[in-house]
Amino acid sequence: MPVALNMRLTGNEEQEVTLTGTLRPFVADEMASVRSSLEQAARTTRGTLCVNLKRLKYMNNVAFLELNRFVRWVAHTRPGLRVKFVISSVIPWAVRKFQVIAELYPFVTIEVYDKAFYPIQQVIEDDDFMNVLRTQQKIIWEHEREKLAWHGLRPGLRIADICCGLGDFAILLQSDFRPEYLIGVDHSKPFLRYAWQLVSDFGLENIEYQYGDAAALLLPDNSFDFVSCRLSLQVFHEPDHIVNELYRICRPGGRIYLTNEMMSGVTGYPNEEVIRHGYIRFLELCRRVGMDLDIGLKTRTILHEVGLEDIKICLLGITNMNTAPHDFARVVESWLRTAKQMAATANAEPELYEDVSAGLTAHIEAITRDNGFAMWPIFAGSGRKPFRIS
Amino acid sequence: MSIVKTITPAPPMEAEFASSRYRMIMAARFTVGGFAREWGHCHLLANYLARYVSANEGDPERHATLLSTFINELLEVIFRNHAVEGQIELIFRRRGRHVILQITLPVTEQNRVFYRMAVQIVNQPDLKSWYRARLEDPADGEDTMLGLLELAAVYACSLTISEPPGQDRLSLFLELPEVDDMGEV
Ligand SMILES: C[S@@+](CC[C@H](N)C(=O)[O-])C[C@H]1O[C@@H](n2cnc3c(N)ncnc32)[C@H](O)[C@@H]1O
Repeated sequence: MPVALNMRLTGNEEQEVTLTGTLRPFVADEMASVRSSLEQAARTTRGTLCVNLKRLKYMNNVAFLELNRFVRWVAHTRPGLRVKFVISSVIPWAVRKFQVIAELYPFVTIEVYDKAFYPIQQVIEDDDFMNVLRTQQKIIWEHEREKLAWHGLRPGLRIADICCGLGDFAILLQSDFRPEYLIGVDHSKPFLRYAWQLVSDFGLENIEYQYGDAAALLLPDNSFDFVSCRLSLQVFHEPDHIVNELYRICRPGGRIYLTNEMMSGVTGYPNEEVIRHGYIRFLELCRRVGMDLDIGLKTRTILHEVGLEDIKICLLGITNMNTAPHDFARVVESWLRTAKQMAATANAEPELYEDVSAGLTAHIEAITRDNGFAMWPIFAGSGRKPFRIS
Repeated sequence: MSIVKTITPAPPMEAEFASSRYRMIMAARFTVGGFAREWGHCHLLANYLARYVSANEGDPERHATLLSTFINELLEVIFRNHAVEGQIELIFRRRGRHVILQITLPVTEQNRVFYRMAVQIVNQPDLKSWYRARLEDPADGEDTMLGLLELAAVYACSLTISEPPGQDRLSLFLELPEVDDMGEV
């Protein structure tokens, strides 16, 4: 029964017991160690005992009934204690199963931890924004494709694209870098549906998509040659968790590849002051909803700190001279719309959005104007997972 | 355990399955002895079969995780209740977005009584309250039955039985709920 058990004391008020993997015992007795950890934790907690099942992929009824017995034990032995089952929307059987227990016992609650952890998710799942993501992809790809071989990508690899969005990367790779197998993981079902439709239309059998949380992937350790995470670290409060997961699933000798924006470097002429100020304020707004759109600057540090070697970084310098100005302008227009929604979400003071609006509008003018010049810098970085941890 | 045969053109036991509303997905046959040698077979087989059946879904892994949960529960019941010799036959069919699993196994008289009772319990009215009551006040020796009960009460699976006269075999039909391409019930 390959279940991993973990206990964490987060103060007397709260204890956490984590179960991961597979819990399909033949008889309840096989759960003895799980049961005693739970009881021990329950005895030493005053407030809430969290039972973390985020990554418990399989559980049979024998195990479930034993958890039910434990809950009943709590009712008798530790009245007043609260029990919280932390589950993930990624595990397809979990919510319904535990809902029953939560309805039965008033001291039990369930928390679907990933229900609303990405504040602007709804904004970006909007149809209009999906079109913009595609335009953004198209622009970036022209610059990115030339750099991928340098970052170690070649045909025939097993690739994981984490936070794959609409899945375009998988399709774009087919001509120059046809992977043996590619799995794209994202936490948006509309995006994944779109991605899958695309793959079916193209009849590609080497691509698969998976609903998942980048910070708690269900993919096995050391199993991919190339792990990408493009323009996504910036949307997380704690990008370290994601990077650790990328590292875990990458095989030793394989490479992790990131693209990161640097909004403080977005600029243009004329009206450079207004543009710069606009983006600084945009960054401020993004931080308020938990995103760091200046993360590009930290790319090297991030790759280094997770323990990679042979780190490489290059700039994808998109300008209105090396890319279609019309497409570029549409992308910035979309940022402006997103900013408006973010300002509403963050309940920001009106001046903040006004500054952003002035800056981005000036940027659009610089992009589309005959003699104007405008740029959008993105850093592409990669590193190799060592064979031995030094 | 060896899977003797993985693809058959489905000799439908029930006339209904011959109708074009049902599409054959796969069939497998193995000996009871091989299957029942190790508890881990339930898990492995459930995962393998679920993955096979989910191959063309939008999120095949998540779809398979859900199906495996259902299939495993039924296999575990079979593991505990079967005659010592003979073959187990599994047939997966699809009707719209429903997957129907037919499992035919050799039984003793005692097993037969168990399965009849299970099907009866699972098909009683007010299943949900009954299931909750069992959780609140569990009786000894009921655990196996509760597994099947949960499939029906919580996930809206349906379970029926077919007993060909004069044979020491019976078939169970587990109709899984409508599951979308992302593995959502
Ligand atoms: C800015 S988009 C980038 C998408 C794609 N890589 C691209 O370059 O177009 C960020 C993506 O991260 C996804 N995402 C957000 N939170 C996530 C999580 N916890 N796990 C997986 N994906 C997540 C979003 O659904 C979205 O598709």
